[in-house]
Amino acid sequence: MADTALVDLLTALADDELVLGHRHSEWTGFAPHLEEDVAFASIAQDEIGHAAAFYTLVAELTGDDRDRLALGRDHTEYRNAIICERPNRDWAYTLARHWLYDTADGRRLEALERSSNESVAALATKIRREERYHLIHADSWMRRVAGGPVEGRTRLIDAMALAFPEAVGIFEPVEHEDELVERGVLPAASEQMKAAFLEEIRTALDRLGLPTQGHAHAADAAEFVASSSGDLISQGPAAREPAEASSNGVGGRSGIHTDDLRQLWEDMTTQYRSNPGATW
Amino acid sequence: MTVGPDPVSQQAHPVSQDDVWDALRSVPDPEIPAVSVVEMGMIRDVTVEGTTARVVVLPTFTGCPAIDVIKTDVAAAVGAVDGIADVQVELSFTPPWTSDRISSEGRKKLAGFGLAPPTGEGPVLIADIGLPAFAVCPFCGSRETVNENPFGPTPCRALYYCNACSNPFEQFKAV
Repeated sequence: MADTALVDLLTALADDELVLGHRHSEWTGFAPHLEEDVAFASIAQDEIGHAAAFYTLVAELTGDDRDRLALGRDHTEYRNAIICERPNRDWAYTLARHWLYDTADGRRLEALERSSNESVAALATKIRREERYHLIHADSWMRRVAGGPVEGRTRLIDAMALAFPEAVGIFEPVEHEDELVERGVLPAASEQMKAAFLEEIRTALDRLGLPTQGHAHAADAAEFVASSSGDLISQGPAAREPAEASSNGVGGRSGIHTDDLRQLWEDMTTQYRSNPGATW
Repeated sequence: MTVGPDPVSQQAHPVSQDDVWDALRSVPDPEIPAVSVVEMGMIRDVTVEGTTARVVVLPTFTGCPAIDVIKTDVAAAVGAVDGIADVQVELSFTPPWTSDRISSEGRKKLAGFGLAPPTGEGPVLIADIGLPAFAVCPFCGSRETVNENPFGPTPCRALYYCNACSNPFEQFKAV
């Protein structure tokens, strides 16, 4: 019988990478400038490749087919964190999510490198070396936008207020996580990784001069900016698109998703569903 | 001689691992045909038992789309070795492939192909900016180069510009 707890963990890891990889790929042809078009296409390819490697491990455990796991399941069967399925919104949201996700993923991979399961440990070690480039990319853009003109910084603050509360959902544990921790398959409990992640993010936000409390402080982000008449006007989040109400980012690990996943799934699986099991 | 393989002479001259390695040296990296999979450091192990060869391949990047092509090419080349009837090609991430596995000959061929070899071991970072510090221009050999994008047309390539000869070029990423 398949190792259900391990299958659940690997499926969650694979679904995170596939779904976010798909979102990143949506920038292809549309990114704000050419180099970022290339960067997001490449990051998407990395993430989808990592998903394929995790699905391969699941397939070895269950005898299932890798492509069917990736594209042949119903959207209610996906176990990705909610934040991964959210639309790209604008460049600021994409950047905030990219930075939060890759920082969280770094924590997770760091733990999995020490997994008692040799296949998981080897794959995590390999993936982490590649993910470093994603973090370098996200960090350099965070510095650039946070230290840049008011509009960019304000948009980033708003985006962070949306993304940060949902990012904790990345650490929503899979069912039977206790068992995986006990066996050393998952060497750190999600709660423990979440605490380290939150501290790392708050320290980094503080250093970037950005609010560290998500929604609670977003209203403080108002800035005085020059109007066309030259007068200084106060421009806060209220003057822009209101932040949409969101869940707390939890539920994805048990298959409770937003309609954003269903829409993404329709698009992502169209080809597969048109001819399941086809060989290309 | 026009007759088929003679079982007696096969027993007299069993296939050696070296024969398989020689065959693998003829398998190019599909995306960088100037360099073989052996020079890329992608072949971890070769074992031969009787007429069965087993080859363990280390993927350069987890998401490398060329992996399936490499598996097929490796199986075909090894299968063509006289005396080999069965080839098993396995992928492994143990140890992780790293760019320092590329041989010195492989590095020369990468540069000859117009692709700067990876710099140092693992990403060489400028502390504050966090991008690979430099690449050696494959066209003029200058180090007066700037990283324009840590990402490129494939997962394994980064984009650079040479200030000395004004050519854009790609580097095989250090990983």
